[in-house]
Amino acid sequence: MNDDIPVQTQTTGLITPTDFTTFMRNYQDMVFSTAVRLVGNDAQAEDISQEVFLKAYERFDTLQSSPTAGGWLKTVATNLSLNHLSRYRNRWKFFSEFRRDDAADDSDQPDVEFAAPDAFFTGMDAGERREWIEKALDQLPEHQRVPLVLFHFEDMPYDEIAKRLHVSLAKVKTDILRARAALARILAHSGASHEKFSA
Amino acid sequence: MKRSPEELEKLIHETLRALPDRRAPRSLEARVLAAIEARSALPWWRHSFADWPLAARIGFVALSTAIAAAMVAALMWLSGNVDTSQLGSTLANRIGWIDGLQQALAGLRDFASLVIRSIPTGWLYGALAGFVGVYALLFGLGATAYRALYQQSR
Repeated sequence: MNDDIPVQTQTTGLITPTDFTTFMRNYQDMVFSTAVRLVGNDAQAEDISQEVFLKAYERFDTLQSSPTAGGWLKTVATNLSLNHLSRYRNRWKFFSEFRRDDAADDSDQPDVEFAAPDAFFTGMDAGERREWIEKALDQLPEHQRVPLVLFHFEDMPYDEIAKRLHVSLAKVKTDILRARAALARILAHSGASHEKFSA
Repeated sequence: MKRSPEELEKLIHETLRALPDRRAPRSLEARVLAAIEARSALPWWRHSFADWPLAARIGFVALSTAIAAAMVAALMWLSGNVDTSQLGSTLANRIGWIDGLQQALAGLRDFASLVIRSIPTGWLYGALAGFVGVYALLFGLGATAYRALYQQSR
């Protein structure tokens, strides 16, 4: 028997919590993953995910039957994460980044040619592999991780990333190139040994 | 074996896209439902204007328009029917205490300037430099502590 009490809202009509709970269970991992890979902090990603689902609740009557609900949630999660990063970056810029923001623009191109295996994680199980990649992503500095995540996970083109992050196209390309190189270096390590991340 | 940027992009893309979603914290669902319940417990006028009932929104707009029109009409009536010189003197009597307050503030200002003039200029510059130095020191300590304690713990 369903004991959930229906909730009447102005915008969504009659919604039973079970419907929304099922909806949330279907998408919460995707929303949380999107947020946590961008902001790099579990607690902040949970706050953002909560905000995403509160917005979803306001338009649940259209979302619950929409085939694009997942895309809508992902877009909102991405936007809220970027807004959060923008606010956070402005607040703590002095404390956390003593170097210039555009430092990558005027420096030489990174050496991306390096020895790398055909595939990472030889001899690792799926769980260990996932943990390695997530930790490797966390180890990247924010100015490299965010454009990398937007490019590879969100399929955002370079120019759109530059626009969203308010940086030059050259900086985005350089940051992503360096992020890939740094990530590959960390991950290539995993093929040679199963040592745990120390940081 | 050396790899080109294109090969590296392909390798990283395949690696990242093969990554499954991270599991959301167990507390997320409960937090969202609690927030929804708290929101639905609010009376309708505490919600955003767009969520108000249609009748309430129409009533609010009509009432606001009526108040604005009444105020404009009252101002026009006052400007045509009230003796402004008499009104001015009445107001001046009512707010006479402001003059007293102004004189008291002027006295305080004169006293402060007298005190500042009696202090040697070198002392003032020294105090100012000391203040700026201590401010910079504390700011630097704060930044260092943040980087050392917070950034490393992330």
